[in-house]
Amino acid sequence: MIAVQLLLVGAFLGLFFLALRSRTAHGVSASKKLGFLLFMLLVVVAVLSPALVSDVANLVGVGRGTDLVLYLLAVVVCFYVVNDYLRAQDSRAQLHKLARRIAVLEALERYGIAASHERDSEVVDEVPDPHGTTDGDRDDA
Amino acid sequence: MKDVAFVVPVYNEAQVIGTVIKAIQAVTPHVVCVNDGSTDASAAEILKAGAYLVDHPINMGQGAALQTGIEFARLLPGVERFVTFDADGQHVIDDAIRMLTTLEVGDLDIVLGSRFLGASVGAPRLRKALLRLAVRFSNVTSGIRLTDAHNGLRAFNRHVADTIEITAPDMTHASEIIELIARNGYRYREVPVTIHYTAYSVSKGQAGMNAVNIAVDTLLRKVGRS
Repeated sequence: MIAVQLLLVGAFLGLFFLALRSRTAHGVSASKKLGFLLFMLLVVVAVLSPALVSDVANLVGVGRGTDLVLYLLAVVVCFYVVNDYLRAQDSRAQLHKLARRIAVLEALERYGIAASHERDSEVVDEVPDPHGTTDGDRDDA
Repeated sequence: MKDVAFVVPVYNEAQVIGTVIKAIQAVTPHVVCVNDGSTDASAAEILKAGAYLVDHPINMGQGAALQTGIEFARLLPGVERFVTFDADGQHVIDDAIRMLTTLEVGDLDIVLGSRFLGASVGAPRLRKALLRLAVRFSNVTSGIRLTDAHNGLRAFNRHVADTIEITAPDMTHASEIIELIARNGYRYREVPVTIHYTAYSVSKGQAGMNAVNIAVDTLLRKVGRS
C-alpha cells in the first residue's frame, strides 16, 4: 500500500465514523446512511485499486478511470448542492413560522386582542392548553 | 368600512408610510402594518400614525410579511374583508374601495388589481415589458389567465384569509398567490387599477434580475409538490 492510499483510506474511514457518531445522524434516514456507507466503500475500493476503476470506466465507455471519478464527483456535488438548498429552504420556513408567531403574539398583547378563536392548524404542533386559551397567558408556576 | 382591514407590508418606508396610513384611515380604522425588520424609523412612524404594528423580529421578505399581516388581521374582531396594499404609495385608495365593491357584488373570493387593464402613470418601458413577460410565465405555470401577475393590490374575503398560506418569503409570493387561487378554487376577478410610478416607488421597485429568481422558484415549487 502506498502512502497516498493509506492517507486517503484513513481519511475516508475517519470521516465515516465521525458522520455516524454525530448526534444529528439520528435524524437521517436509514436509506441515506446505507447510501453513504456504500459510497464510502466504493471510494475505498477505488483508492486501493485504480486499475479496477479504469476497467469500469472502459466498460461504460469512458477513457480513463480518473475521468469516470471526475464525472461521478460532479454528480455528487450537484446532488449535494440541491439537497442543501432544499434543506436550507425548509429550515428557513420553520424560522419564519416561529418569527411570525412571535410577531403576531406580541402584537396581540400590545393591542389587548384575544386570540382564543384563532385556528392553530398550521402553527407548530402545540400542547393543548388546559384552560383553552393561549392569549397572553404567562406561567404562574 | 369597519369590516375591512388593510394589510401593508413595510420595509424601510419611513418617508412615506405615515401618509399612506393616513389615507387608508379615511376608509377604515383597521390598518395592519407589518414592519419587516426595517432598519429605518418605519416602526415608529407606524405607531405614530396609529396603525397596528406587527413587528417581524428579522427581515423575512414581502411574502412572509403579507402572511403575517393576514394572520393578524383575521383576529381583529368584526373584520370580514381584507385588502393588501403597498406601503410606497403607488396604490390608490379609490381602487381598493372599488375592488371591495366588486368582491361583494360579484360574489367573489378575491379581486386582483391589474395595471394593464387600467392606467400606469409613468411606468418605465423596461418594467412594462418585464411585467408582461411575467404574466405570460404565470399564466402558463398556474393555468389561470390574468393580465397582471405582480400587482400588490388585492381584496379578498374571510374564506381566503383563513385558508391562504403564502410560503414564498420574497417577491415570488405574487406568483404563489395565483397558484393558490388555482389550487384552492377561489372565485377571482381582475379589475383595472392605477399605479403611480413615482420616482420613489420606482427606485424601491424590483430589480429586473429578480425576475430570474421568481421564475426559478416558481418552477422549483412545481417540482417540489409533484
